[in-house]
Amino acid sequence: MHNHRHSLECILPEHMLEQIATKGSNAQKQMAMDNISVVYQLRAERAMRASLADLFAPTMPRAADGGKERIVYDVKRGTSLPGTAVRREGDPASADAAVNEAYDGSGVTYDLYKEVYGRNSINNNAMRLDSSVHYRTGYDNAFWDGKQMVYGDGDENLPAEDRLFNRFTIAIDIIGHELTHGVTQFEAKLVYSQQPGALNEHMSDVFGSLVKQYQSRQTAAEADWIIGAGLFTPNVNGVGIRTMKAPGSAYDDPVLGKDPQPAHMKEYVSTPSDNGGVHINSGIPNHAFYRAAMEIGGYAWEKAGMIWYVTLRDKLGENSNFQQCADFTHQTAGELFGSGSLEQQAVKNGWAGVGIAIGGETPEPKGCLEATLRFLGAA
Amino acid sequence: MDVERIKFERTGGFAGIRLAADFDVSDLPDDLSQTLRELLNALDFPELPARLTNSESVPDSFTYVITVEAGKWHHTVITGDAPENENMQELLELLNRLARKKIKKH
Ligand SMILES: [Zn+2]
Repeated sequence: MHNHRHSLECILPEHMLEQIATKGSNAQKQMAMDNISVVYQLRAERAMRASLADLFAPTMPRAADGGKERIVYDVKRGTSLPGTAVRREGDPASADAAVNEAYDGSGVTYDLYKEVYGRNSINNNAMRLDSSVHYRTGYDNAFWDGKQMVYGDGDENLPAEDRLFNRFTIAIDIIGHELTHGVTQFEAKLVYSQQPGALNEHMSDVFGSLVKQYQSRQTAAEADWIIGAGLFTPNVNGVGIRTMKAPGSAYDDPVLGKDPQPAHMKEYVSTPSDNGGVHINSGIPNHAFYRAAMEIGGYAWEKAGMIWYVTLRDKLGENSNFQQCADFTHQTAGELFGSGSLEQQAVKNGWAGVGIAIGGETPEPKGCLEATLRFLGAA
Repeated sequence: MDVERIKFERTGGFAGIRLAADFDVSDLPDDLSQTLRELLNALDFPELPARLTNSESVPDSFTYVITVEAGKWHHTVITGDAPENENMQELLELLNRLARKKIKKH
């Protein structure tokens, strides 16, 4: 299922493009120039968006009491966000399961960030948590739109025997995942493409999974480490969307194909789809986190989660790659628990288990290079 | 433009699962091919820019690639969920449904 179609849409490292542009044939130069302009265009767009986000930041709705305030809206299968407010902070439960799941899930997510990491909501400034449910019809998705969470109902519009997805509020880790995209937007601002994008996805899976573990008070050894358990209907041969314990084994289904996630750098997937495989290659750091958390033991949100949270908040930047994430988490573990501590050792071992050595060289995205060389007839 | 063939691909999303299909418009039931033609006309599809909305910065949003072919002519449009464009929304929902049906048959 995963898209191995190599094409020149993949964004090449600029040094390589520049080399081709200066030394290549005319056709090669043109190709490189086209790609370079795309790279620069994307960068300009990102810079513009980042400054827009900063502009909007002060106007984010704030909780009335400066703490936890949730509002769940019903979009009634339409597209106009946020929709009609149907449950506000402190209101009794609704008759609508999706409304209650969005309410409860965003509450547990708020609590984890507040109680464990001392963070007051998404922006650490009491931002109100807005969620909209029943978005469009047959919408197999959930997303963070920059200001709020949005959830579809899955395949509610299809006959039961054709349904693959349940409603997207059904798994609390999806809610934690979406809210963490908000946290990343205010902290590391990881661009949503290639390795920084896969790290953005990784952070959302880590804290989504920790929200679930925190809610059930599960230790690392007790947790299932599955992302989106319960999202698939019984028509799908799979346990969930991703697994941090064994990336690549979450599903293997005649209709949906096989879980494409790698668990090691040697299986890194270069693809132009999915913003450069952000939901695919996140399997690598996800598995590193799992290994570190298992070696540390106990509740994963306490130590491993703290190391990752501080790294996301204070160290990662918008273009950080896997190697830098490994180095920063290792450094953070040393600062929090002592140089050479068991915790720091566990972080080092976790990354080693996925083929990333602390302080090592950043691996090249080799698939892109191979695709280009093939295109140019050089290989 | 007399549409003969449509290629459709949806990538990204929380699940990151690709959905793709290729249709001969003549293979579709009459009412569906009629709706499809009407939507493409209402959208003035041949005149749409190659990139309609930029969804890459919205985490977990879908990206759709739609290619319409008529004889030797073809046009590809990349778009996000396009909530501001009702005809595009309808087209995306229709193509999603068709792609799901087509996959199921395999
Ligand atoms: Zn995500």
